[in-house]
Amino acid sequence: RYVRQLQRLQLLFSPTSADARGARQFVEEAALDFARRHPDVVLYVRPRAGLAPVLVAEYLNGTVREELIASKTSEEIVQLATKLAGQSGLDIIRIRKPFHTDNPSIQGQWHPLTNKPSALTVQGPRLQPQ
Amino acid sequence: MAAGLLLRVSGRLLAGAAAGAGLRLRLSTAPSRDKKRWLRAYLEQQRLEAPPQRRSEKPNWDYHAEIQAFSHRLHENFSLDLLKTAFVNSCYIESEEAKRRELGVDQETVALNLQDNSKLAEQGTSFSRSYLRQCFEGAYPDLPAEGIGALVDFLTSQELVSYVAQNLSIQDLTLCREFPVPPEVLQRTFFAVIGALLNSSGPEKTGIFVRDFFIPQLIGKDLFEIWEVVNPMGLLVEELTKRNMSSPEPRITRQLGVSTVLPLYFVGLYCDKKIIAEGPGETLLAAEEEAARVALRKLYGYTENRRPWDYSKPKQGLAAEKALSSN
Repeated sequence: RYVRQLQRLQLLFSPTSADARGARQFVEEAALDFARRHPDVVLYVRPRAGLAPVLVAEYLNGTVREELIASKTSEEIVQLATKLAGQSGLDIIRIRKPFHTDNPSIQGQWHPLTNKPSALTVQGPRLQPQ
Repeated sequence: MAAGLLLRVSGRLLAGAAAGAGLRLRLSTAPSRDKKRWLRAYLEQQRLEAPPQRRSEKPNWDYHAEIQAFSHRLHENFSLDLLKTAFVNSCYIESEEAKRRELGVDQETVALNLQDNSKLAEQGTSFSRSYLRQCFEGAYPDLPAEGIGALVDFLTSQELVSYVAQNLSIQDLTLCREFPVPPEVLQRTFFAVIGALLNSSGPEKTGIFVRDFFIPQLIGKDLFEIWEVVNPMGLLVEELTKRNMSSPEPRITRQLGVSTVLPLYFVGLYCDKKIIAEGPGETLLAAEEEAARVALRKLYGYTENRRPWDYSKPKQGLAAEKALSSN
């Protein structure tokens, strides 16, 4: 079953500074909706003075991601939060190959003995009993 | 820090003015009073070397909210009291009572109304084991009892269960004396959570839960990685006699590089002149053993190209078995 990998979101913002305006609007308008739509994510809202507004996301595998939300509007913060809620906690690094397959070979991978005849007579259309 | 900058600037201005006016140069090389250069690196090192701390001791933690989110995350309806009991371990109760005795608090006024999770853990373990056993008996009817036992033991082993529990954030929610939580405590807590689910939602939902979280751990695993078989040839001979087939004759099918340091032999096992399995190996004995293992995999239906597990329909007929197991 699908288990959302985002465990908790901590919204830390300043109650007075100008760049936290979007964060304050988000808390007033959209935070409750977000929390209702995502009941498996715990949303902590904590005002703290003096530092930049930040959204901290913690995932089930222990990764902690901090995103700056300074001078972002309320809708942008909602979009960012939904994006974080859909991610898994794996590190965001370059993916080395853009393909993966669980069945690398259907009829069996070739090895040097694939099409060689065996030492014993094996039943086949070519070998006729004499 | 701004005051320090101003002092430095005014110092330089003064020095410049003095040098311009007279010939006196006053270089102020006294150390400034702002934060030192090494401070940031030192604080970072302290932060990295600090011992790991429970999430409940860090800021922003609400236990009740976390437990509700836990039950929503697993898409299950838990009764929250049972779930909270499931996370309480006996070592935690002992440590709390010891702390209260040390602080001199009266036992009766502040009684710890916490119950253990041992009963729930036992229920959870027995239920999961019997459920998994039935699943495997249904899916691989030819697999003997030891094989099924080995599979069930592997799935309920400490490492696997503690790995699953850690990735479901059970480590944050357990109440335990030590941190990081040792794997056996994680295993017990996870089974206690399953026991709580059993008591809240009934055996069918719990069965689906166990199926969804345990059976995918078998993906990519080979039967003989999990089940250690010492003598595959003997086991194969027993299986064939049970099915009334003649004993296998090994023959070399292919060989490659016999006189080199890395020879490769393919040994085929023939029953009544019909081939049942072929296996490679470095020496003839190793190849014969591998061929016996391949034959056993084919007989038990646990090959790599078997149909993947069917997650669609919930297993029926489990209610009677559950009654048997819990009694």
